[in-house]
Amino acid sequence: MKFGGTSVASPESRIASALRVVSAKEQGFRPVVVVSAIGRKGAPYATDTLINMLREIDPDVEPDARELDLLLACGEILSAVIFAHTLKTLGHPAQAFRGGQAGIRTDGVYGNARIVGINPVSLFRSVEQGNIPVVCGFQGVYVAGDGAPGGELTTLGRGGSDTTGAAIGAAMKAEAVEIFTDVDGIKTADPDAVKSAPTLRKVTYDEVAEIAHLGAKVVHPRAAEVAMHYDIPLWVKNTFSDDEGTEIVKREHFPGRRVTGVTHTGKLVYLQFDLSGANDEDRVTLESRIYETMARYGVNLFMLDMSPSSTGFAVPRSQYAVVEDVLDGLVIPMVCEDRRVYLFQIGQQPSREVETQAALLEALGDVRRISAQLTEGCTMVSLVGHEYMQQPGLFLNVLSTLYENQIAVLQTSDSDFSLSVLVPESDTLRAVRLLHERFSLAEVR
Amino acid sequence: MRRSNYMTEPLSCDGVETRSAPVKPQTETEFEKKRGISAVEVRRGFAQVHVSQLQGNLMEERLRVLRAVADVDASIDFLKLTPSGLSFLVPGDRGDIVGQALAGVGVNFSVRKNRSIVLVHAVNIRDEEGLIAGIVQTAIASGATIDHIGDMHDRMLMVVSDDDAERVRTRLSEAA
Repeated sequence: MKFGGTSVASPESRIASALRVVSAKEQGFRPVVVVSAIGRKGAPYATDTLINMLREIDPDVEPDARELDLLLACGEILSAVIFAHTLKTLGHPAQAFRGGQAGIRTDGVYGNARIVGINPVSLFRSVEQGNIPVVCGFQGVYVAGDGAPGGELTTLGRGGSDTTGAAIGAAMKAEAVEIFTDVDGIKTADPDAVKSAPTLRKVTYDEVAEIAHLGAKVVHPRAAEVAMHYDIPLWVKNTFSDDEGTEIVKREHFPGRRVTGVTHTGKLVYLQFDLSGANDEDRVTLESRIYETMARYGVNLFMLDMSPSSTGFAVPRSQYAVVEDVLDGLVIPMVCEDRRVYLFQIGQQPSREVETQAALLEALGDVRRISAQLTEGCTMVSLVGHEYMQQPGLFLNVLSTLYENQIAVLQTSDSDFSLSVLVPESDTLRAVRLLHERFSLAEVR
Repeated sequence: MRRSNYMTEPLSCDGVETRSAPVKPQTETEFEKKRGISAVEVRRGFAQVHVSQLQGNLMEERLRVLRAVADVDASIDFLKLTPSGLSFLVPGDRGDIVGQALAGVGVNFSVRKNRSIVLVHAVNIRDEEGLIAGIVQTAIASGATIDHIGDMHDRMLMVVSDDDAERVRTRLSEAA
C-alpha cells in the first residue's frame, strides 16, 4: 500500500491512511506500506522546501547531487517514522525502514537512480514478528563494487515512490499493489479541464504508461512497468473516498478497441529550423549538430519533426533558456573549399550575440543564417487509446473538431497508443474538453 | 537474474497464516530495465505520402486531403503538418489507392514506397534527459534520410527508406 504526499500530509490524512492499512490487516492481509514525503509544494517537509533550504544559503551555488539526495531522503524518512508511529497509536505494531534497510539497491545515479535489485529480508522478518513495515519511498542504496559498508544513499527521481511501491510488491510477491492518492483513480481527463471526467475502472499498463508519458499525473510508467513485468495487479485508489479505483492490468486481460482519455502537457516552446538555405551536403551535419547539442545539455524533446527543408521540436518552457543559450549564435563551420559557415538565429529578430557573431564572421566568407521560427506558449494535447490509433479517419476527426472550434494546430505527432496535437496554451483546456466530448469519454466506465 | 554477493537469505515465513502470505524469494530480482537503448527493430512495408503546394485556406485543404484518404478506408500514421501541406505514412499496399484518391482531389502529391519504421526501444525515454536527442543525432549521423520521427513512453519511431533501415539499426545498436 503506497501513500502519496497528500495522504500523509496532515494528522487527519495520516489517520485516514493508517485506517486503510488497519482495515487491510483486519481483512487478513499482511500489509507493507510505502510512503512519500509529507505534503506537497510549500509544506514544511515537502521536497521543494528541503531544496530551498540549500538554495537560500546561496542561489548561485548548485548543491552537490550526493548531498541533495541525502537531504531529499529526509522527507520520506520523517514520513515513514511518523506513519509507523501513527499505526502504533492505533494499536498496530509497525517499523519504519529506509530504502537501504528495506533491501533496495540502485545503480548509483544520484537524483535519478534505478532499482537494480531488492532483497526484502528485513521486511519479511518484520512481518513475521507481527509488525507492519513502513518503507520510505523514492530511495535506495548503491553498494559499490569494493563492498564499501553502508552504501551510498540515492534517490529514484521522477515517479520514485510509485516505483518503490511496485518494486516492493514484486519482491515480496504481493497479492496486489495499491497506490493511494487524493483522486478516485485514473480519469479520462484532467478534472480541471473536464469536471465530469469519469474514473476509468480498468486500463492496461501500456495505456497508463502512455498517459503518464504525455503529461498526466498518474502512476509513473516505471511503476507500471515493474508491476507489468512481475504480473502484480496494480490499483490506484483514493485515500479519502470509498470509490473502487482503477485497476491496471496486462494487455491480454483487457483487450478491445477504445479511446482511453485525453491528456495535456505543461507549457512548451516550439522551434522550427528552416534548412532551405543550406547546401544539401551540409544538412546532415547541421541536423546532427542541433540534436547533438540538445543531447549534451539534456534537453527533453517533444513533437519532433523532420522534413527535407526543416527540422523542429518542442521543448519544456523550463528548458528553453538553455536551448536559446546554446543555439542562438551557434556557429558551425563546414570543412569545404569555399569555407561556408552557418550561423544559427532563434526568432525573427537577430539577438545582439547573433549580430556580433555575423560581423566577426563576415571576413571568413560565405556566412549563412539558419533561423528558427519560435512559437512560445504551446501545449501538447493527446488522445490516448488502445488499438484505436490506426482507425481510418481518426486524424480527420481530431483536426476537424479543433478547426471547427477555431483552435490552431501547430503540429501533430502519433504513436501506437496516442495522437497528439500542439496547440496554443490558451486553448489547452478547451481542446481537452472538445476532444473529450467528441470521443464520448464522459460515457466511459 | 543476478545474485548479489551481499545478500542474506530471506527468513522463512512458515507457520504464519494469512490470505496473502509472502513467498520467500529465491534470488534477488532485477527490477528496472537498464537506461538507454535496449533493442532496435525494423517494421517494413509502408509508403510515404507528401502533399504540398496546397492553395487557399491551408487547414481546410489539409482536411480535404484527409477526408479523401479516410474515404478509401486507409489508416495513416506519422502525420506531419508542413508549411504548404502535410505528409503521412500509409500501409504499403494502400499506397496506390491513396494516390488515386489524391489525384481525384487534384492536389500536388508524391508517394514514396519502400519505407520502413525503425523502432528504438528505450524504457521511460523521457526521464533520461537528452536521450531522445541523442538517438536522433545517432540516426542522422548514420547518413540515413529520416522522413519522420515519433515517440512513445518506451520507444522512438523513425521512418526511413528500406535501404537505410539496416544502416540505422546497426548504428543505433552499436550506440546502445
